[in-house]
Amino acid sequence: MISNLIKHPLEADCSRTLILGSTKIYSRTMARLGQLARTVFRSLKHQSSFTFQLQSRRSSFYFLNTYFTKPWNYSPNSRISFTSRSYSSLTEESQSPSTIDYRSVLPEEKYHMLANSTIHDLIEKLEEYGDSVEIDGFDVDYGNEVLTLKLGNLGTYVINKQTPNRQIWMSSPLSGPSKFDWDQNAQAWIYRRTKGNLIKVLVVRLGSKCPSLDL
Amino acid sequence: MMRQASKMILGQGLPSLPTRTRAVVVGAGKPRMYHERVVDHYSNPRNVGSFDKKDPNVGTGLVGAPACGDVMKLQIRVDDESGKIVDACFKTFGCGSAIASSSVVTEWVKGKQMEEVLSIKNTEIAKHLSLPPVKLHCSMLAEDAIKAAVKDYETKRAKSNSIEEAAPVKKAADA
Repeated sequence: MISNLIKHPLEADCSRTLILGSTKIYSRTMARLGQLARTVFRSLKHQSSFTFQLQSRRSSFYFLNTYFTKPWNYSPNSRISFTSRSYSSLTEESQSPSTIDYRSVLPEEKYHMLANSTIHDLIEKLEEYGDSVEIDGFDVDYGNEVLTLKLGNLGTYVINKQTPNRQIWMSSPLSGPSKFDWDQNAQAWIYRRTKGNLIKVLVVRLGSKCPSLDL
Repeated sequence: MMRQASKMILGQGLPSLPTRTRAVVVGAGKPRMYHERVVDHYSNPRNVGSFDKKDPNVGTGLVGAPACGDVMKLQIRVDDESGKIVDACFKTFGCGSAIASSSVVTEWVKGKQMEEVLSIKNTEIAKHLSLPPVKLHCSMLAEDAIKAAVKDYETKRAKSNSIEEAAPVKKAADA
C-alpha cells in the first residue's frame, strides 16, 4: 500500500490517495506517516512543473497538513515544523525564521482550540496559585470567554480572545495592553513588539511564588 | 441606519443617549461606569472631521479593523517650516472609550512639535480618561493612530523632497 503511494507520488489525485492511505494505516506507527510525508513533500517540492497543480491543491494539502499536526498540541515536534515549513515553501511564501508569519492561515477551529487550551490551562494554574498564595482581593473570573484576574491592590489583568485577528489580547495594570499572536515555530503566543511570551510574561509578573506555568 | 451610525460617530448622539448613559450608571447588577470625561468626549467630541488626504501638509493615520470593532482615522495638519502641528481632526468607529481616546489625542497634539507628540503614551490617555482594564486597547490604538499620522506626513514629505531633487536629474537623463 505504502510502496504503491511512493511509486506514484505525482499522480493527479495523489493527495486524495495519500489521505485515504494514511487513514487506513493510522493504526501503524506515526514514524511511518512522517516518513511518508517527508518523501512525498520532498519529491513534490523538486517538481517545478507541478507548481501550478500544487497551488490548486492548496486545500487538500492543507488538510493533510492539519491532519498530521492534529495529534500534537504543544510539544515542539520537529516533524510538525518540517511539514509546516515545507507547506509554506510549496505555497511560495517567503518567511524568515525570526518573523511570525501572520499570513500563514491559522484556521478558526485551530485558533479556537489553541486559544481555549491556553486560557483554560491558565485558569487552572491561576486558581492553584490563588490557593497557595495569600493575596488580598485575589479573584479569577472567567465568563463569556474573558478571563479577569484581580490581584487586589496590584491591579486587574484581563485576557480575552480576539478571533478576527487570531490573537489573544491581554491588558496589564503594569505594562498596559498587549496583543499576542500564535507563533507556529515557537509554539507559543508572542507579542510582536516586545517578543514577549504570554505565559512567561504572566509568570514573571506573578513572581517566583507562582508554580511553573509550563504547558 | 447609516445616518444613525454617522451621528454616533460625530457624537451628535441619539435623542435617547442621556437615558442610556444614566442606565449605564444605575444599571442592574454590576454597574459599569464611564468616567465623566469619556461621556463628555462622547457627547461633545472635539475636532471631528477630515482634511484633504492629498494635501502635502496633511498626515493621515488609519488604524484598527472593523472586525475588531475599532477603526480610527486621525489627521494632522503640519506647518512645513516650524514642524508644528497646527490642526488635527479625527473620525472614529468604535466604542465610547475609543472615540474619547482619539478625541483627547487630537486635543493634545494641537500646537505641539511632531517629535513631541510621538512621546504621547497610551498610559497617559488611559489615566486621563480613567479607562478600565478592558478598554486599554483603545488608548493603545489612539497612540498608534497619532504615530501613523506622523509617519504618513514624513513619508509624504520625503517623497516630495526626493521628487524635487530627482526631477532635474531625470530631465537630464531623458534628454
